[in-house]
Amino acid sequence: MAALVVGAVAYTANVVPIWEGIREYFADSSAPMDFVLYSNYERQVDALLAGHVDVAWNTNLAYLRTVGLTGGTCRALAQRDTDVTFKTVLVAREGSGLHGLESVRGQRLALGSKDSGQARILPIKFLADAGISLDDVRPVIFDSDVGKHGDTGRSELDALQAVLGDEADVAALGITTWQQLKQAGELGVEEVWTSPDYCHCNFTALASLDDDRAEAWTSHLLAMDWDVPEHRRILELEGLTRWVRPQLEGYRSLEEAMREQAIPLTW
Amino acid sequence: MTTAGPDQVRSARRAQLSIRLVDVVGRLAAGTTTLVPVESPAEVEVVDTWCRGTGNSVLAVHPDAVEVYRGRLSDLDSILPPDRMPGRRLWLYTNFHCNLACDYCCVSSSPKADPRVLGVDSVAALVTEAGEAGATELFLTGGEPLMHPAIAEVVAICTTAAPTVMLTNAMLFRGARLRALDSMPREALTLQVSLDSATPDLHDRHRGAGTWARAVEGIRTAREMGFTVRIAMTVASRAGGEEVEVERFAATLGIRPGQLVVRHIAKEGEATQGIVLTRATLVPEVCATADGIWWHPVGATDEAMRVSADLLPLRPTIEAIREEYLGYRRRGDVLAASFPCA
Repeated sequence: MAALVVGAVAYTANVVPIWEGIREYFADSSAPMDFVLYSNYERQVDALLAGHVDVAWNTNLAYLRTVGLTGGTCRALAQRDTDVTFKTVLVAREGSGLHGLESVRGQRLALGSKDSGQARILPIKFLADAGISLDDVRPVIFDSDVGKHGDTGRSELDALQAVLGDEADVAALGITTWQQLKQAGELGVEEVWTSPDYCHCNFTALASLDDDRAEAWTSHLLAMDWDVPEHRRILELEGLTRWVRPQLEGYRSLEEAMREQAIPLTW
Repeated sequence: MTTAGPDQVRSARRAQLSIRLVDVVGRLAAGTTTLVPVESPAEVEVVDTWCRGTGNSVLAVHPDAVEVYRGRLSDLDSILPPDRMPGRRLWLYTNFHCNLACDYCCVSSSPKADPRVLGVDSVAALVTEAGEAGATELFLTGGEPLMHPAIAEVVAICTTAAPTVMLTNAMLFRGARLRALDSMPREALTLQVSLDSATPDLHDRHRGAGTWARAVEGIRTAREMGFTVRIAMTVASRAGGEEVEVERFAATLGIRPGQLVVRHIAKEGEATQGIVLTRATLVPEVCATADGIWWHPVGATDEAMRVSADLLPLRPTIEAIREEYLGYRRRGDVLAASFPCA
C-alpha cells in the first residue's frame, strides 16, 4: 500500500523526532506513512487542499478553516486525549482580588497572537458571551509567532510576563502552558477564570481519502500504547497519553468565535 | 509605594524561572541540553521539580546554573542487559601473588608481588552483602587463586552463595593444592584457564617458556577430575583469527563450544601497550581486593579505578558505581547528540 502522507507544522525542533518516531511506528503496519513539514498552518491547509498531503495535523483554527474552505466535506480522523479537554485560563497576580469573568471588565487584559484559539480568539468569545466586549477591557496584545496558531506558547508567556511586570492585570493562557508553568511551584499568580472545555488539534483529511486507508491508519494510530516505552517517548513529546476518536462538538465555540469575529478563512 | 516581601520575591523569581523553563526547554530539541541560570539551592530545587513534572531531566548542577536535558534520561535498565548490571557480578581478587609474571598482567602479579590476601572473613562478608544487593555470579581471580592459603574455604563460601568462576593458570595442580582443588564442588564451580594460543609460541612468549604445555596438562587434569573448564585467551588484536584455532584446539581437550572467553590486552599493570580504559569508557564490574572496591577487575591496581578504600559496606559502593556509570552514559548520549560531523 502506498504511504499515507501526513503534514505537520514544524513549530519546534521536536516535531522531527516526533514524526520520525510515528513514521517508524507505522512502518510495519498495513498503513505505512510518511510526513512533510510546513512552516505555518496556512501553508499546510493549502497543501491539504491541493492534495500534496493526505492528512494534516491541524490546530483547531486550521481545522475550521479547512472545514470552511471545503464546504464542510473534510473530516477529522483522530485527536490527542488532551485536545478534547483544552481550556483557556485567565490568570492574575495573587491577591489581585479578581475572580470570575465579570471581574475582568475594565482591566488590562493581555492576549496572545491573533491566530491563537486559546490565547486570543476564544478569550474574546468567552468575554463576549458574558457581555464584555473588547471595548470594556484594555487589551494588551502580543502577536508573536503568527502562523503557528499559538502552538509555541510564546505569546502566552509574553502575556504572563506582562502581568508579572505590571503591564497588564490579567493574561489569557492555554491550559497546557498554564499547567507547565505551575510545575515549578507557587508562582504568585492565580486563576481568575477557567473556560469550558473545547477541542484543539486533530488529524484532518479530505473527503477524497479512501475510507479503508483512513480507517487502517487511524486504527493503528489509536493502538499506540503509553505503556510501551518506544510509544511513550513519542506520546510524551507530543503531549498526550492516548489518541482518541474526534469529538467535533468541541469545535463549536471556536466556530462561533470565528464567525462573530469575522476571522478570515485564509490570510 | 509598597515593598515586596520575601515570599513575594520568591514567587516572582520562581515565576520568571518557570517562564524561562517553559520557553527555553520547550523549544529545545529532544536529547539536547541547556543551561538555566540559578541563584540559590532553592532555585535548583524549583528547576528539578519543574523537570520532573514536565518529562524533562536535570543532567547536572553547576555552581550558578542547572543543566537541563530535554526529555527523560535513560536509566541503567534500558542501557545494560540484566546480567551486566553493576553488582550482578562480584569479582574477588583473592591474592595478588602468582607463580607467573606475564608481560601483560593488568595487575602486575608475579612471585614477588605483595600477596595482599583477601581474608576468609572478608570474603564471607562481601559475598553476603553482594547477594543481598543482587549478585548472581561470583568470580575469583588474582594473582593465582590457588596460592591463597585458604582457597578451598573461599571457594566453599562462594559456591554456597552463587555460581562461581575461578580463574587459574592451571599450573599448580599438585600436592596440597591439588588436594584443595579436589575438595571443591564440581557443580557450582567453573575453572577458567588462561590459554593464549593453540600452540606454545605466543602463549609462552607472554607467560614464560614451557607454560603452555603445563596449562594444557592442567586443563586435562581438571577435566578428568570432573570440573567444568572454559578457556580465556588474552589477545593484542582479534585480527589474526587465533581464537578460531584456540577454539578448535579446545575442542580436542573436551571443552564445549562457546566456552572460550577472548579478552583484549588492556594498558594496565605490566602492559605497556593495549586498550586504554577509564571509568567513563568501561562498563563496571564490581571488584573487591584487599585494598578496597574497584570499578573493574582489569584496573584493580589503577588508583583511578578505585571506587572505595573500604570493603564494606558494599551496597552503597555498588549504588555509587551505578550512579556514576549512568552519568557517563547520559553525558555520552548528550555529546553524541550534540556532536554532528557535518
